[in-house]
Amino acid sequence: MSENGANGVSRFAVELGVAALTGAFGAAVCYGSLDVGAGWTEFGPEAGYFPFYVGLLILLGSVANGIHAFFKHRGTGEIFIEGQRAKVVASFLLPLIAFAGVSAWLGLYLGTALYIAGTMLFQGRYKWWIALPSGVAVSLFFFVVFEIGFKVPLLKGPVEAWFGIY
Amino acid sequence: MENIGLLIDGFGHILSWNHILLMMVGVTLGILVGVLPGLGAPNGVSLLLPLTFSMDPISAIILLSCMYWGALFGGSTTSILFNIPGEPSSVATTFDGYPMAKAGQASRALTLAFVSAGIGALAGVVMITLLSGWVANFALRFSSPEYFAVYFLAFASFISMGAQSPFKTLVSMMLGFALASVGMDTISGDLRLTFDIPTLIKGVSFLIAVMGLFGIGELLLTTEEGLRFEGIKARVKLVEIGRTLVEIPRYWFTILRSTIIGIWMGITPAGPTAASFMSYGVARRSARDKSKFGKGDPRGVVAPETADHSAGTSALLPMLALGVPGSATAAVMMGGLMIWGLTPGPMLFTERPDFVWGLIASMYLGNVVAVFLVIATVPLYASILRVPFAIIGPVIVAVIFSGAYQVANSVSDIFLVIGFGVLGYVFKKLEYPLAPLVLAMVLGDKAEDAFRQSMLLSGGSLNIFWSNPLVSSLMALGVALLLSPLVFGLICLARKRKADAEASHSDGSAAA
Repeated sequence: MSENGANGVSRFAVELGVAALTGAFGAAVCYGSLDVGAGWTEFGPEAGYFPFYVGLLILLGSVANGIHAFFKHRGTGEIFIEGQRAKVVASFLLPLIAFAGVSAWLGLYLGTALYIAGTMLFQGRYKWWIALPSGVAVSLFFFVVFEIGFKVPLLKGPVEAWFGIY
Repeated sequence: MENIGLLIDGFGHILSWNHILLMMVGVTLGILVGVLPGLGAPNGVSLLLPLTFSMDPISAIILLSCMYWGALFGGSTTSILFNIPGEPSSVATTFDGYPMAKAGQASRALTLAFVSAGIGALAGVVMITLLSGWVANFALRFSSPEYFAVYFLAFASFISMGAQSPFKTLVSMMLGFALASVGMDTISGDLRLTFDIPTLIKGVSFLIAVMGLFGIGELLLTTEEGLRFEGIKARVKLVEIGRTLVEIPRYWFTILRSTIIGIWMGITPAGPTAASFMSYGVARRSARDKSKFGKGDPRGVVAPETADHSAGTSALLPMLALGVPGSATAAVMMGGLMIWGLTPGPMLFTERPDFVWGLIASMYLGNVVAVFLVIATVPLYASILRVPFAIIGPVIVAVIFSGAYQVANSVSDIFLVIGFGVLGYVFKKLEYPLAPLVLAMVLGDKAEDAFRQSMLLSGGSLNIFWSNPLVSSLMALGVALLLSPLVFGLICLARKRKADAEASHSDGSAAA
């Protein structure tokens, strides 16, 4: 995607990029379907028969969207997202990805507590003695609702195992 | 009336303290997800779904459907008090609801919204009570080609009725079908589209897609817009409620018209959002005095709310009777039915009448409970919205991640949710519709089975879809809908060209 100076990313570029991505996905679906067999056997249609045409339709639609973008969005100066706003979105998205990474390693309870405390501390600019207990409280609340209330387990990590909670 | 007797049996199945309590929990949670930005009815229901795996189906559907009603009500609360639609379907309510609240008529606007919404919902349920048995009986004659034709019709109507570009709808829908076919093939047992990635063998759950597309995607949008809540302090006064209740019969015609629009849009898969916009538009166009619209005309609140809720309830008719959901939320609930081991469709009426009529009876009761609960709790929810987004946002994220993990106890699903979230954000900004994707993911396997079974019946010839009057008329209607955007496009183009020609002609004559 091309950066349009300090103004941000142009909508035209994103439209084309998304059309290319969905098109590539469609091609991958076609390829994967041909891999398992998209033809006809004596038992009827093979497993890839239906997905193959779905993939073809994705490809067709993506091409049409790409062409449409040239007519509708090229040179209009429409902006997909401004640089300043993109930073705000990234400041929400990146901690979210970190949350997922930490949770995969330490479990969702600890991940939740850390994530909520962290975002309150660094983005909400709360003091640590407010942020930390809030994170722990939300995590404890989840524990009560999920493990005790509905008896549905959440992902636990080494720390819970250390305390003997499974 | 056979249906009335069945309905009374249904009430017998659900009238217990346990179920009433579940209703109240469902409605309360529903209002909460409706009020919170970034959480709406579809992903509220998906988040709750994993928690119902161990419940009996009747309790589970009561909980989920009541959450749906609650979410519809919650969405209107924020539209009126904060000018922020909690749900896409309550956007039209902001046009006149917020101006009314600003002019000091918050209680009046809220009461009008809730009561007309309640009337719309009840009208939808009455329609379901009267028609569902008949539709299900009719559908018993269907075999696989007819089923495929019904699915085809549903998807064709998305392409033709969608406000978005038809090709974007097509791509979104087909992505859903492709994602649905990942994993084990239900007929041959072959693995397909897994590309030798082990986590893809179990397939991609539609619940993960909904949580990402609607949940994380919506949150990203909210962050970008840098939402500031400027709410109006609302105290619902009892006197005010009474005065407004007396006023309601004056709007009987608006309510009637909006109900009809809503029921129609709910049964066809256009859904509540389209219904509320259309109803608002019709109300404004047909009003004798248009000047007050947009500045706080009560009819501008009544019309979209009635249509929104009657469409929301009516969307359950095709889901129950045909197995084709009429809205994204109905699609998620239908996925739930399949997970609990029930097959939506006409057979459900003969196999589990207790479930079907229990659900319908709970819709009557649930909507009444919802009207009272929502009026009573307005100040509470209004205060929730005053909590800064820096706290609410992360808590919603944590809820979504927990829900995503619980779908299949899989860590990879958490990362998949983020992927769907980014996709949802980009798609929303580029005006790709999301509902067809979800619908295709839920219906994908069933549509494919219907198609392949038809192909087996006919030995691979597409003529089977034109082999009897029923299937041919369904297919013809579908094809007509598919072609309609093209025809309308051509008409518009021709008109424009004519107008251009006339304009240049008159220019020419003026110059001469």
